[in-house]
Amino acid sequence: MANSTIAKETTRPEINLVDHAVTLVIVCLVGLIMNTVGPAIPLADGFVGMIVIYLISMVGLILTRFSPFYMPSVAWISLVGIVATLPWTPGSEWIVAQAKSVNFLALATPALAYAGFAIAKKEIEVAKHSGWKLIVIACLVFFGTYAGSVLVAEGILRLQGI
Amino acid sequence: MNALRGQMGLWKLHLAVIVIGVVAELIGIRKIPFGIGAILLLPLLYAFVMAALMNPNVMPKFGKFIGEKEVKAASPLIVVAIMPFIAKFGTTIGPSIQTIIEAGPALLLQELGNLGTIVLAFPLAVWGLKMGREAIGATFSIAREPNLAIIADRYTLKSPEGTGVMGVYVIGTLFGTFIFAILASLFASVEWFDPRALAMACGIGSGSMMAACTGALTEAIPAMKDEILALAGASNLLTYATGLYAGLFIALPVVEKLYNATAGKRDLAATKNKEA
Repeated sequence: MANSTIAKETTRPEINLVDHAVTLVIVCLVGLIMNTVGPAIPLADGFVGMIVIYLISMVGLILTRFSPFYMPSVAWISLVGIVATLPWTPGSEWIVAQAKSVNFLALATPALAYAGFAIAKKEIEVAKHSGWKLIVIACLVFFGTYAGSVLVAEGILRLQGI
Repeated sequence: MNALRGQMGLWKLHLAVIVIGVVAELIGIRKIPFGIGAILLLPLLYAFVMAALMNPNVMPKFGKFIGEKEVKAASPLIVVAIMPFIAKFGTTIGPSIQTIIEAGPALLLQELGNLGTIVLAFPLAVWGLKMGREAIGATFSIAREPNLAIIADRYTLKSPEGTGVMGVYVIGTLFGTFIFAILASLFASVEWFDPRALAMACGIGSGSMMAACTGALTEAIPAMKDEILALAGASNLLTYATGLYAGLFIALPVVEKLYNATAGKRDLAATKNKEA
């Protein structure tokens, strides 16, 4: 899995838009179920919200495929979501209102379920071989990046006095 | 409609995800008191654990329903499943653009805080645990895909540096969401820090870890939900854009120099002793 991910990062991947359009429908339907069960958002509201989310994702994918320079699909999708909801974008109020009917944590639940199913044999082996030293280091690495960013951000916000 | 047929062939996988997801959502968010704070358990964490327990590579005995075919197919599906999530985050950034611009300097500079990995983990790896060159790969970044690519390019993944980065990558894949949910819960519950700073720090260039981190924060500080989502999303997008370059041009050279100036000399002395 690791090797294929690198290939995707370094060379521009050919995105099959039809494949993605279909797969995204399934993923969005799964997300809609979570959105209805967990945060208890009415199905009709969630449905419209999810269509908006689906369209943003698709526009992002189309840009990933056809833009003259390469950016990862997640970056494009993010940008489309931002531009569509900027206060001075026509119709943004409606989009924001619809997107509010979709709970972000409910969308993350299926993604993590797929991640649990995707654990490969090789990853279990690496984890076993790495030993306790790398586990300790990994925890410190995550703690360090979080604490480092918090401290810098806190310091700047205080300097700015906002 | 090959794509549709392909996905229909994976009905077991999608069904399992739905069942697991529904159970996880029904359990809901749970708060566990811990020391001076509390740890928040989120549905996405239960979903990951339940799916892992059904994964034949993790639990060979239960591997009846989900097979190797589903495992292979699940990997690219993570990327697609994270897309709606990223789109939703985007829609929280637009309306809060004023907040983002106000916090712009902090938002930009906290990216440098990611070098905290080196400050904290490198000394322990080299002096505390007496690690070799694995320490370089393990501590220069949080070992997400772009960072793997940097090490693969420079040292290959089979080198000691590669072993280091792969180890942290896999541990991040397996436990990263838990670690970040716990970190964010604890930092939020001590109430020393500005929630906006805690939110920005959640954007580390990994969708699932950001989900766990912001999920825990918004539960701990519900009044600032919109601001937290917008700042975390913006910071995450910034990390997508800058993470690769920060790793390549700042973090990795710094760690290499540190290593050569300290443990490198130790390695050299050890080789000399052996030769003598």
